[in-house]
Amino acid sequence: MIEVLRPGLQTTVQDAGRRARALGVAAGGAADPVALRLANALVGNPAGAAALEVTLVGPTLRFDQNALISVCGAPFVATLDGAPFGLWRAAAVRAGQTLALGSTPRGLRAVLAVRGGLRAQTVFGSASTDLRGGFGGHGGRALVAGDRLTWEPAPPLSPPGAFISPALHTPPGPHHVLRVSALPEATPELLRALTTPVFTVSSQADRMGLRVTEAVAAPHDPARVSLPNVPGMVQVPPDGRPIVLGPDAGTHGGYPTPLAVIRADLPRLGQLRPGDTLQFRAVDLSLAHAALREQERALRSVEAALGWRHAHA
Amino acid sequence: MSAPVFTPLGDAALSVQTPLARELLADLGARPVPGVQEGVPALGVLTVLFDPLQTSAAELEAALRLRLNALTPQSGEQARTRALPVIFGGPDLAWCAAHAGLSEAALITAVCAAPLEVAFLGFTPGFAFLSGLPPELQMPRLAAPRGEVPAGSFALGGPWAGVYPRATPGGWRIVGHTSVALFDLGRAEPVWWRAGDRIRVQPVAPE
Repeated sequence: MIEVLRPGLQTTVQDAGRRARALGVAAGGAADPVALRLANALVGNPAGAAALEVTLVGPTLRFDQNALISVCGAPFVATLDGAPFGLWRAAAVRAGQTLALGSTPRGLRAVLAVRGGLRAQTVFGSASTDLRGGFGGHGGRALVAGDRLTWEPAPPLSPPGAFISPALHTPPGPHHVLRVSALPEATPELLRALTTPVFTVSSQADRMGLRVTEAVAAPHDPARVSLPNVPGMVQVPPDGRPIVLGPDAGTHGGYPTPLAVIRADLPRLGQLRPGDTLQFRAVDLSLAHAALREQERALRSVEAALGWRHAHA
Repeated sequence: MSAPVFTPLGDAALSVQTPLARELLADLGARPVPGVQEGVPALGVLTVLFDPLQTSAAELEAALRLRLNALTPQSGEQARTRALPVIFGGPDLAWCAAHAGLSEAALITAVCAAPLEVAFLGFTPGFAFLSGLPPELQMPRLAAPRGEVPAGSFALGGPWAGVYPRATPGGWRIVGHTSVALFDLGRAEPVWWRAGDRIRVQPVAPE
C-alpha cells in the first residue's frame, strides 16, 4: 500500500484513456502517453496499466510494502528517504520508505508506475481520472493527503538496471515546436497567422486544454455547427486566442479548428507549462505518418528489450 | 440519399459527412473495422478516429463506402418522448429575449413549444445536442466562453439547445436550470437521454 503524505499540485491516476466519446465522455489518459508506456515497460507492466500522473509539484508517498517503481517524464527532483532518486529507470522501494517528488525546472508532468499497476475505479473500460466528471481513478479526483493506494499483485522482478535513452524522453521545453496538420477550416491567412508567430502558453493550461496569450485574427463563423473534436485540435474562439485541446477536452466543439497536432507530437502537449513558448509547424500527412512510425518503432524496441531483460534477469 | 463526403482531420481521423451517420456508428459498433478506434457522431457527420499504424485514410474510406452502400435510414418509430423540467432564469435570459424580439415570458413559451430532439450526444458526459429550435430562438454563442458554467444550466447556442450536466467552460447562452441528473454511473444506462429521443421542455416554478 502507498499512503499519500502530501498530494502534490495535481496527482491523478491515469492509464491509456477511454473510448466513449460517442457518449460525450472525454478520452482522458496520461497527458504524456510516451512517459506512461516507458514507465510501465520499466516495471514489466502492460503498456496501458494505471499509474500516477504528477503535475508541476509531485507528491510525497510512504510505501508500507516492497514495490518496484519507475518515474518517467519531466525532470522532477526526487528523493527516496532523502537520497537522490533517479528517473527513467526501475527501482526497488522497501516497506517503510518515503518517496518525495519535488518540483521540476522544465516540463510539467511525470508518470509514476508501480509493478502490477494501480488498482482504481474503471469506468467505460479505463481507470483514468475524469476530473470534471468526477469518476474513474481514485474517487474521480486528484489525490489528497491520507489517501491510500494499492496495486495488483505481480510476480517479483529484479530492476533491469537499464536507463531509458534521453532520445526517447518527451522534450520538456521551455521552447516547443508542435507539428500540425492543416484542417479544412485553415484558410491560407489563418494558417499563416498560426504558423508564423511564437506563442506563449498562458496560465490557463490544464488537462482539458491550454490557451496561449497572443491572439490571431479570428475567423468569424457564428453559424458553425458543433463537430467532433480530434485529440490535439487547435480551436480559435472569437477572441482569437488559440486553445490546444488536451486529453480531457470535451468531445465536441463549436469553434473553428484550423489545425490538429500530429499524433506523434501529442505527448509533447503534456509537457507544456505556463510561460513556455510554442510554435506550430505545418507538415503534410506523409511526414506525420513517418514520424509516428519512427516513434512507435523506437518505443517497441525499448519495450521488447526490457521484456527480454525482465525474462532473463 | 446524398453521397458521403470524406475529409481527413489530421493524421489519425477521418470525417464522413452522411445522412446515415447514426446508422454508420451503430454498424461500426456491431462489426468493427480493423484500425478504427472509435466513431464520434455529430449532425450528419461521423468522425472516425483510427490508428495510422494499422490503416490509412484511403483504406478506411474504401471500407466505409462499402458499409454505407449497405445501410438504410432507421425509422424514428422507437423514439421516446422525455419531459425536461426547467426553471427559467439565468444570466442570459433577458439578452436572449431581446435578441429574439420577445418578452421573457414569450421566449419561455416558444422554447417549451419547440419540437426538440436529441440529435447526438457529446461534449461532456450526459450532454445532448438538442435540435429543433426555430430560427428566432437560435442564439449566437458568447465571444469568449465562460470559464465555468454551473451544472444543470439550460442553454441556447447556435441551432442547439442543451444542458450542461457538470460545471464546465461553455459559450452558450444560459436561460434556465434543470435538476435532472443527466449522467449517473449508478444507473444501468448512465446517460439520461439517447440519440433520437424527443424532448419537451416543461417550465417549473423555482422552489
